[in-house]
Amino acid sequence: MNVPSNISKSSLLAFVVFWAISFATETDILTIDMTPYVMFSFIPVFLVSSFVILSTVCPFFWLLEKDGFDKTQVFMGYFPYYVITTFSICAFFIISSDFDTLAIAFFASAFISTSQAWVWFAKEKSHEKV
Amino acid sequence: MKHIITIIAAFMFSILFYDKHIGLNLSIFSLITIALLAFYNPKRMKNKTVLLTVLAYLLTAIAVFIQHTSLSIIANCAVFFTLVGVVSEHKTSIYVHWLNGLYTSIAGFFHRSFGIDKDTEKVSLKKDIDVWHWAKLIGIPAVFIVVFVLLYKNGNPMFNDLINKINFDFINLQWILFSVLGYYLFSNISRPIQVEPATSADLKTSNILSKPETISEEKLKKEKQLGTTLIGLLNTLIIFYIITDIASLVSTELSSAPALSSQVHSGINALIASIVIAIVIILYFFRGDLNFYSENKTLKNLTYLWIILNIVLVALIAIKNHNYISSFGLTYKRIGVNVYILLTLIGLITTFLKVMSVKNLVYLFRINTQFAFVILIALSTINWDKTITEYNIHKAKSFDIDYLIKLTDNNAIQLYDALDELNISNQNEQRIREKYDRYLGDLLSKTWQESNYDYYSVVLKRL
Repeated sequence: MNVPSNISKSSLLAFVVFWAISFATETDILTIDMTPYVMFSFIPVFLVSSFVILSTVCPFFWLLEKDGFDKTQVFMGYFPYYVITTFSICAFFIISSDFDTLAIAFFASAFISTSQAWVWFAKEKSHEKV
Repeated sequence: MKHIITIIAAFMFSILFYDKHIGLNLSIFSLITIALLAFYNPKRMKNKTVLLTVLAYLLTAIAVFIQHTSLSIIANCAVFFTLVGVVSEHKTSIYVHWLNGLYTSIAGFFHRSFGIDKDTEKVSLKKDIDVWHWAKLIGIPAVFIVVFVLLYKNGNPMFNDLINKINFDFINLQWILFSVLGYYLFSNISRPIQVEPATSADLKTSNILSKPETISEEKLKKEKQLGTTLIGLLNTLIIFYIITDIASLVSTELSSAPALSSQVHSGINALIASIVIAIVIILYFFRGDLNFYSENKTLKNLTYLWIILNIVLVALIAIKNHNYISSFGLTYKRIGVNVYILLTLIGLITTFLKVMSVKNLVYLFRINTQFAFVILIALSTINWDKTITEYNIHKAKSFDIDYLIKLTDNNAIQLYDALDELNISNQNEQRIREKYDRYLGDLLSKTWQESNYDYYSVVLKRL
């Protein structure tokens, strides 16, 4: 499993989604002066993405591959329940925050990047097989 | 072509829902969903189960427009997930439809991007996007352009002014982002997917109990004796309970709300305990081999009798609740009791069928969830606020006006129209007038996307 590459790609995706939503909803912050802050924000985004992927996505592959499952089986068997649970949690916090921009941006980017991380992990094995 | 249709649907999604409350937009969304599903899955849409679910979806869409209640909106959403699930696989249980529908709506895009071919169950590897290449291609020039713009801004005041004048206000990014959300949703549901192995496991699970190859006669005889004794005694007990309940129903003077309330609620508690224990005991004894034991007739007959007596118990509770309602009017809690009574009756009948036709626990779960779903749809077609108001004003012997005023604004026009008939205090009359004015104000401020039947039938007529 290429964990560093997956985390980097997922962090980049989370970073793009987070700022796309933030800029779309809070147009007044869309100024050129914001650029340095936006760039530096990649660091916390990377840290949060790493923590979430390492603690919630990787264990599925690490533990189940030990039991003889291949990545496709892990994806097919566990991704649906993971994604439904994640979506419910994210929706709950977004609704609880009364659709606050920061909450929407944070949870939407978390949902999209972790879901895509699953796809990237699952595809690794498939490529190896071919 | 298919992408263009999804893009058009996504723009319509934004036009319908962006910064809007629920109303006509949800009904139109239902029509778009049906059209999109039919366009992408023409063969599957010809199936009877799918057509039936489409009808149910249309019914709830009409209910949202006409009734405009929270229940109709909930039912519409529930049928949406069911329809998507049914299109994905129509032969599974209703709860698997929900699972498939939910999964498709939430993550269809990610599932398909993994490239699983549903028909061949093979992973057809789609060419992976070179993320790093694209990141470099977009990111590096963007970073350098921004850095240089910042540097040049400080070097030339005219350039600084020009940069500061750049204004993106004409672009509504939020609207565009909302369209992206619409595209994601429509793209997800366009080709419904299945959760595996849940779907195939459900398809393999039969409703019928399979006959065992060997039966231990002695063990079954003991179990039958225990069952016959237990259910026989419980039958005797429930007969006594029913006799005393009928006697108390006939003899008690029921003039006060607390007396009636106490009767209904204590009856409901007894009913809950009785039905739950009855079903658990029946399921225990008829879980396996006893169904195929040749000498199980007495036990079966006693079980049937017990179920019938439980139905009598349900009928008694229904009578008490009816008395309560006719004396003191309808409320949501009293309607809830009736719904519970209906569900209990269905539960008892399906348990009866399970024992009679040697069905398994999965059958009970499947059929009861189906009934619960149908009841949800049926209940969503009724505007309960209006029903409660109509019944209490015109049929109930007495009612609580404060309760009617505190209901949602759905009954505002009814209450206002009935002001002459109501014998109420000036303060309550004022509250009704305020409620009516507020409701009309709300209706008038609605856009066409948020409009409902009241908007067209009342506001336009009264203007």
